[in-house]
This record gives sequence, structure tokens and C-alpha cells, in this order.
Amino acid sequence: MVEVELYGLPRLYAGGERCQVPAGTLREVLLAVEARFPGLAPAMLQGGAVTELVRVALDGREMIESADYPLGEGAVLVLVSAQAGG
Amino acid sequence: MGIFGRILKVRLAGDRLECEHVPLDPEVHRAFVGGVGLGAYLLWRFAPAGVDPLAPEAPLIIALAPLLGTPLTTTAKLAVVCKSPLTGRISDGLSSSSFALAAKRLGVDAIVIVGALDRLSTVHLNEELHRCRLEPAAALSGASPAEVGEAFAGAHVAAIGEAGERRVRFASLANDGRHAGRGGAGAILGAKQVKAITVRGDAIATVADGEAMRERARDLARRSRGAATDKYRRLGTVSNLETFDRLRILPARNFQAVSIGRKRARKLSPEGLGAQGGHVRAGCAGCTIGCDHRFGGTRLEYESLFALGPLCGVEAPELVLAAAAACDRLGLDTISTGGTIAFAMECAARGLVPWSLRFGDDLVPWIERIAAREGIGDRLAEGSRRLAASIGQGSERFACHVKGLELPGYEPRTMQTMALGLAVAARGADHNRSGAYQADLRPGVDRFAADLEETPPRVIETEDHAALLDSLILCKFLRGAIADPWVEGAELLAMAAGIDLSGAELRAAIRRIVGLRHLFNRREGWTIAEDTLPERFLSEPLEDGEVVSRELLQGMVAGYYRARGYGADGALGGAQLERLQLGRWLEMEP
Ligand code: SF4
Repeated sequence: MVEVELYGLPRLYAGGERCQVPAGTLREVLLAVEARFPGLAPAMLQGGAVTELVRVALDGREMIESADYPLGEGAVLVLVSAQAGG
Repeated sequence: MGIFGRILKVRLAGDRLECEHVPLDPEVHRAFVGGVGLGAYLLWRFAPAGVDPLAPEAPLIIALAPLLGTPLTTTAKLAVVCKSPLTGRISDGLSSSSFALAAKRLGVDAIVIVGALDRLSTVHLNEELHRCRLEPAAALSGASPAEVGEAFAGAHVAAIGEAGERRVRFASLANDGRHAGRGGAGAILGAKQVKAITVRGDAIATVADGEAMRERARDLARRSRGAATDKYRRLGTVSNLETFDRLRILPARNFQAVSIGRKRARKLSPEGLGAQGGHVRAGCAGCTIGCDHRFGGTRLEYESLFALGPLCGVEAPELVLAAAAACDRLGLDTISTGGTIAFAMECAARGLVPWSLRFGDDLVPWIERIAAREGIGDRLAEGSRRLAASIGQGSERFACHVKGLELPGYEPRTMQTMALGLAVAARGADHNRSGAYQADLRPGVDRFAADLEETPPRVIETEDHAALLDSLILCKFLRGAIADPWVEGAELLAMAAGIDLSGAELRAAIRRIVGLRHLFNRREGWTIAEDTLPERFLSEPLEDGEVVSRELLQGMVAGYYRARGYGADGALGGAQLERLQLGRWLEMEP
């Protein structure tokens, strides 16, 4: 399974803070997250991709976006607001 | 049209004030747009070279902008520009709301205040110059900006708090509950013995194309209500804290750590803060976003939250809110206040000073001592750079400032584009004139390892973008709703002020503004040695080993200047001035 954590806008739109979805490509994982939290579409997630308002950090570090990026068992995805200004 | 073509020059001396309208060259707005750009031009023109920022002849400039007063959302803003008493370099802070709108109705594009009074006074400015006057303000001494506002109920007021009166080097100038905080403009007004400024007038800057402007204002308002601004509207910037904690960006305990842990961060989230007496939302005049979140009655944004919270080891929401309220009341920049106290806390923890000041302590008594310059507070009131110099013993290594300005809430070791942005920013460590943190969070950018070739242009792009928005002036929180700021910025400028610039010409104007800021700093003694980071970030790796490479940073600083078209040492010669078309503006007489 892949652990998905939501912060900021993604959390607000999802109405939830975390979920577990089956391992797969980034696209497959995000489709599963979208199914789990329908409120994320269409502003945050669209068809297994993030919109320009969201960033995806693998294990809280590298920002990834490629639909084919493979996410294995135990991976942690962190979804955050793209805008970091304060 | 959108502009008046003149400034109001206010000369203070003894118990007198003289006001005059000074015409502006009709090309000034084409060359410097407005806001921070106009302010930089006026600072160059009116500040004598090498002036002590707290001397009477040092100017305090309130620069207005072409979009101010139009129906466009988020444009009720002004820039406060000066030579900073904290850094000795250029400082420009934005403030918002009704005071900015009222200032424009004076019928001028900027207010330039020079000289000093011999007693604390309120300066009443009026569109009709013979109505400008002084009023003794002894009774307001020590009053908070909000109390000064109440004393002049019905008027539009900007005021300093006790910290400004005492010339604390990071005192703010406040209006409508907002602060032009960074850099110590409040200390300059305090040195001039000006407690408050009121503005009154009925002038209207005619918009060049009223119909197009009204249509665009409706469109921009519609765009401003979309998901792109939801973060600011529904959560507020305080929501950054939990995210930054997770991404290991959050500075804690004077930049000794980058996370406070999930549970503690949760307590400082919008939900955790809202549990302290409620959460209400407001906004600047005419704004359709409304990012102003108040928790238990206290306005709080991310920078104040990080600086008065994790940076000082403070975890309890009620203590952070009390500290933020104290800064508001006393007129202090929250980032420099938190940064300086956090530095003093680390000095105490290391036994370098015998002060009873511990990470996690209630900050309010220390904030009050700073504002009153009482006891040790007098030393803290000088900011972390001067404090480190007076403590010595190697403490300079962990005094977290650039050019004397305390760092905002982004850890440079885990945001290495931001590391360069902080090092080269003209006003010192700064998140408002450089948005380099945005680049760090983009896919394809390794935020843990900067790149000699690719990082400098990323920093330049975000710096120029910020200078554009701060010159027009449009709120940065609108940026997600604007597809191409250069194209739309040029269109708005034409509609508001009849200034027709292509996107490329607007870019050239913004580069000119950035160049002039740099030239001002050079004139005031800047050398490239200032464009660095505190030693901590260069020689103390974080627990996962992240550190900023000294050699790489030096290389990137040189690369930044080369990419700007300057010499690698930051020199701007005749050819560069020619290319920036700056030459003629450098010779203007006050
Ligand atoms: S978004 Fe916030 S800071 Fe910007 S104009 Fe609106 S209320 Fe003011």
C-alpha cells in the first residue's frame, strides 16, 4: 500500500487527512485518492494528475509529477498546496 | 490618469512643517511604474549619499501606485521606502487598505518626508496645502497604532507604536491594523518625532480607459474567487506551518531544527489556533480574497506564527497569539522580533550571556522590554546583527540575518533556491522581494542541491515577478489567478494610467528598478561579501546532512549578477547603466 498524507488545500478539499491506496504508478495512486476523496476533483486532482494548485512530494522530499512514476509498497506521498507564500 | 505627476514633499523642522507639490518628470512612471519602483527612484533622489537613516535629512517615502484607487481587487496598497536603520540598505515594505486609498486622494503619487520635529507630533496632510498642519502628540506617547486610530476616529491614520518612538531598529509603521514591518520605517518616523500621519483629500486620479477598467475589474474579481486563492481565503497563510513542518522547511529554535513534530505543528494549524477563542476572517479595503485571519481577535499570518512560535521554541497557541498581539500593539516587525529573541535564547542556552531567557518562554515581557528599550531589551532593540557583534564569542555564526535583516520562515538548507534568493535580496533576508521558495517546490527542481547554472535565473525570475507586482501594486496572493503577469500588468498599466508598454518594455522597467535598488545599496557601501548566508547554514549540516555549500553559493551569487548583466562582483558600469536606461535618472536633483 501507499500512504497518502494531505496538507493545506488538498486536505481542505478532501475533508480528510490521510488514506492508504494500492501501490502503482503515480497516476493510478492519484486516481485511487480521487475515488477515496471525491471532493478533490476537479480543482485539485483531474484524471489521475494534480492541477497547478497541488504538489506531490515523495516521502516529503522530491516533488514528482510524471504519471508513470512507480510507487512501490510503503511509499509515502505528501500532497500540499502549490502556493507557499506567506 | 491613474497618476497625478507630482509628489508631496513634507519638510519638518523644529515646530514647523512646510509642504509643497513637486512635479514628477512625466517619464518617471514609464521608467519606474510606481510602488516600490517609484519609491526606489525617490529614495535615490532624496536620500543624501551615506546618510544616517535616523538623521533628520534621511527621507521616509510613502510611494503610491498607478492601480491604487481603481476598482481592481487587491490594489489598495502603498510602499514605505527608506534607508533601513537595521540594515543600512534600501528597505521597502508594503501596507494596505483604507489609508492607502485616502493617501491617493491627496492628489499625489508619493509623500516624501524629510527633516525632524523637536517634539512628538501628528502630521495632518491635506490635499489643500494650506491645511497641512502639525498637532502636538505628547498625549499619544506610548499609544498603540490602534489607539492612535481611535484618537482620530473618522480620519485615515498611519502611526508608530512605542517601539518606533524609542527608535527600535525594527519598528513598524501601521495603518488599519496592517504594518509596513520590515526594515524599521517606524524608527525613522520616531527619529523625526512623528507619531502619526493623517491624510485627507478628494482628488481622483482619472482612469485612462474607464470602461475597459470596469470590465477587467469584474473579471479579475471573478478570477480572484476561484480555487487559486482558496488557500489564502479559507485557510490563511498560517496553514503553511504544518506543511512546512512535514517538508522539513520550518525553522525552529533559531534555525537549529527544521521540524517541531506532527502533533506540535497541529496545535499551530488553523484548527489549533481557532480553538483559542475563535477564528474570523477579514480583508483589506476592496479585496475580494480576504486573507486576513484572526484567531481569538489577533491577526496572524505564517511569518508571525513561525517567528514568535517554533523559532523561539514556543508551542502554545495562546503564547504565540499574545506575542503577535504585543508586536501589533507596540509596533514591531514580528520576524525581526522573533529572530532577535531566538538568537538571544540560543546565546543564553550556550552560556554566552547570563540572561534568564529560555526557548519556549513567554515572549511578551521580552517584547515589551524591547519596545521600551529597557535593560537587556535595549540591546535586543538593535537587532540580531548588532547584538551578535556586542556579544561576540563566536555568536555571529548563528545570528540568522542577511545584511542585518532577520530571516523569514524558510530553511535555506532544505530550500536551496531560496538560499540564493535570501543571499542576494537587496533589502536583506527577504521572502517578499524574492519568491524563490516557489521554485524550490516545483517538480524538477532539487531543493536540497542548488545548481550553478539553473538556480540564478530561477531566482531572477521570481525577484522580477515580485518587483512587478510590488510596483503596480497588485497583491501577491492574486498571482495564481493571473496567467501572464507581464502581459496583464502592461494591460492594467495602460488602462489605469495610459502608460503603453509592451510586455518586454515592462520587463525592462522592472529590471531597471531592481538595478536601481542595487545601485542604491552600492552607493551606501554594499560589497558582494554581503551576499551570503549566516555561517550556520554553510557549516552546520541538518540531521539528514543538508548544508549550503559555501563554494556553490559564492559561485551562484556571481552567476546571479552575470545573469543580470552586471559584473560578476555586482558592479554596474556605464554599458550596463546604458542598457538599463538608468543613467539620466541618477542625476536628478532633490
Ligand atoms: S489578499 Fe490579503 S493581503 Fe492581499 S489585498 Fe486581500 S486581504 Fe489584503
